[in-house]
Amino acid sequence: MNRLNRSNRREEIQLALRDALPIMLAYFPLSMTYGVLATAGGLHEGIAVFSSVWIFSGGAQFMLLGMFASAAAPVTIVSTLLLLSMRHVLYGATMGPYLANWRESRKWLAAIGLTDEGFAVISSRATLGNVILPSYYITFALAIYGSWVAGTAAGTGLGSFVTAELAEVLTFALPALFIALLAGGERTLPYLAAAGCGAVLATLAGMLQLGGVGLIAGGLAGATIGHQISRRRSERMNPVQPEGNSERTMR
Amino acid sequence: MATQLWVIILIGAGTYLLRAGSLVLGSRVRWSESTKKWLSFVSPAVLGALIGPLLLLQEGKWIPLANNSMLFAAIPTMIIAWWSRRLLLTVAAGVVFYAGFHALFG
Repeated sequence: MNRLNRSNRREEIQLALRDALPIMLAYFPLSMTYGVLATAGGLHEGIAVFSSVWIFSGGAQFMLLGMFASAAAPVTIVSTLLLLSMRHVLYGATMGPYLANWRESRKWLAAIGLTDEGFAVISSRATLGNVILPSYYITFALAIYGSWVAGTAAGTGLGSFVTAELAEVLTFALPALFIALLAGGERTLPYLAAAGCGAVLATLAGMLQLGGVGLIAGGLAGATIGHQISRRRSERMNPVQPEGNSERTMR
Repeated sequence: MATQLWVIILIGAGTYLLRAGSLVLGSRVRWSESTKKWLSFVSPAVLGALIGPLLLLQEGKWIPLANNSMLFAAIPTMIIAWWSRRLLLTVAAGVVFYAGFHALFG
């Protein structure tokens, strides 16, 4: 490997860590809360940490605690939570085409990082026209995964060395990150309409206690509305429109 | 304890297979131009779907607008995001805004 490639890789890793940092900051206290709640709910410490290592999905893990507490039947728990995880199919299908040239084993490694938040960051980068390299994506995935596992371990073991006050303030890191990603992306009517539709549907689904269904419904309907509006517009404005603008960047 | 362990193993395996399976399949399928265009709107739609409930709901219940310090903090955060287009700066500023509103209104 020549020097140019190696310094590129270092840049990719730095960029990945910078993109991962907001998620790491948000995951750590959240995951610590999970660790505290899990052990308080009577889950063995080792099993609590194992669940973060093995599942790595905040939504699923918190719902799991609730269902253990209400003594739901194991079959019900597994089938409900796998239904909740169906949203990852949408994420995988969206990200897949950007990894078409990757070696197979690296795709399987990258899949670890396909959480809601991970998808939000990586797909925003990809939609802006950045090429997604394995060194970038895998560094990013392992960084957020590490933060999640470390948080649970801290929560089960040491109680809390992040105070409740600080944890509360850090909960805003996630919505702030999503706002930043949305504003850093395309600022066209179809994109904003897709986001608005997703927000309304997911909020309604949340009020009906439908959980992860809101992300699937909001994602599908929002994407369809955005796509329809953009098609109508490009038909009206000019039938042949050049696509893509790699000038846009987000730093 | 053994039952809990099995439930965790099944959920984790299922979740990972859904993630990896769709990623690997998605990278092999040749999507049509129209599907690709549609897929490019999944990202903003999911972002919206993540933001909405985070800002407006608490445990599935609507937060009255006047008491919603997250929503208050979201407004200056949006302005910073729009103006700067910087990820880390926006997140840092947002957390500071939220700490401020949280201290003011509790």
